[in-house]
Amino acid sequence: MKQALALLAALALAGPAHAQFNLRNLDINRLVDTVKNVSKATRTIPQSEEIEIGHDVAARLLGAAPLVADEHLQRYVNNVGRWLASQTERADLPWEFGVLDAPQVNAFAVPGGTIFITRGLLEKMHSESELAGVLAHEIVHVLKKHHLKAIQKGALASLTGEAASLTFRDMNPEAKQKLVAFGTEMYSRGLDKGDELEADRLGVVIAARAGYDAYGLPAVLQTLQAMNPADSAVALMFKTHPAPGERLDALANTMQPTLDAYASQPQLRDRFLMETKASR
Amino acid sequence: MKWLFPLLLVPALCRADPATLIHAAELKRAPATDAETVAQLAANSPVDALERKGGWTRVKAAAGEGWVKMLALRYSGPGEAKKGDSGITQLFNVARTGSSGTQVTTGVRGLDEQQLANAQPNREELAKMSRFAARPAAAAAFAAKGHLAAKSVEYPKP
Repeated sequence: MKQALALLAALALAGPAHAQFNLRNLDINRLVDTVKNVSKATRTIPQSEEIEIGHDVAARLLGAAPLVADEHLQRYVNNVGRWLASQTERADLPWEFGVLDAPQVNAFAVPGGTIFITRGLLEKMHSESELAGVLAHEIVHVLKKHHLKAIQKGALASLTGEAASLTFRDMNPEAKQKLVAFGTEMYSRGLDKGDELEADRLGVVIAARAGYDAYGLPAVLQTLQAMNPADSAVALMFKTHPAPGERLDALANTMQPTLDAYASQPQLRDRFLMETKASR
Repeated sequence: MKWLFPLLLVPALCRADPATLIHAAELKRAPATDAETVAQLAANSPVDALERKGGWTRVKAAAGEGWVKMLALRYSGPGEAKKGDSGITQLFNVARTGSSGTQVTTGVRGLDEQQLANAQPNREELAKMSRFAARPAAAAAFAAKGHLAAKSVEYPKP
């Protein structure tokens, strides 16, 4: 039914455009493409556009909270993150990592390879393997294009009366703005639960590949689970993620062999405390 | 007065978090499956969690001290531990920095839902962030310094 409506919308839109051309110049291929795209409801956004959308979304997040003014800390987190990203199938992305100066406990993955973690979350951690666990979880969101797909799906749904598929074809500035606005909103609404649990599972693997103690992410989840959910510092993170206890159960059920096989790899407690002490 | 100081240091030195076991578990002498079993702990046993080593957490239980599997532990639930609101405290701290002493909330930034919705792009910070990015080779050298060795580990089957 949805597809039929979208098809109608596309045809209705093609009407006025049609009027501008005489019949002979009407780009039939384009019209056919439009209808095809709308009924498909998605197309693969090329990597260059993914990065471009990501930069705009990242700029918005930085507008909500700037970077912690500690270059040493920022470079340290970039080293950990880049090393993790190098172990993945999208190692060629322009990976960038930033610590946001905000008390809220949270982390964000932006399409195209930008990852943020808040000072509030960093302060709750005890080792580099815990930091690696969280960054690896966020890296998976980028690898699997969880946000990009959600943005695309959501923007299409909201573009009633507009040529949704043309938006994605031409990527005109106005359409891009819409995507970016919707993309920022995503961080208040959250992803599907399945995406979050997938990011936990694959994040454990990436941390293990990078040589870290695989229990870093579960350790952070346990810390979060011990926090008061009524604390406003965790309100948004708890709203947009499955409960930490549920995430721990899921990891115990699916990842126990991997976790145990790589449990004795370095945690790097001392390096973490030394490199982050100025901003903790 | 002097004797007070060592006492004050005690809570900081041994962080003990109240937790319960979500299922029955063996209390081990050391953090390993083949280590000697100190006691059998029943499901829902209360313990104090002390430190983590890999997949094991050292705990103090009524039956003694030892190690249990980390994923068998859940920390005390809502309203039982860790009361307080660090987000609100932080907000007030920022708000009270105004010299007039009145609570000025303008300019308070952060990442709650409202603040996210109102955010305007900050291109300077974006450019700054790019300057801090690490090259793959530099990150690899950093990893080697921490004795992190890359392994081949398969993703789980979907």
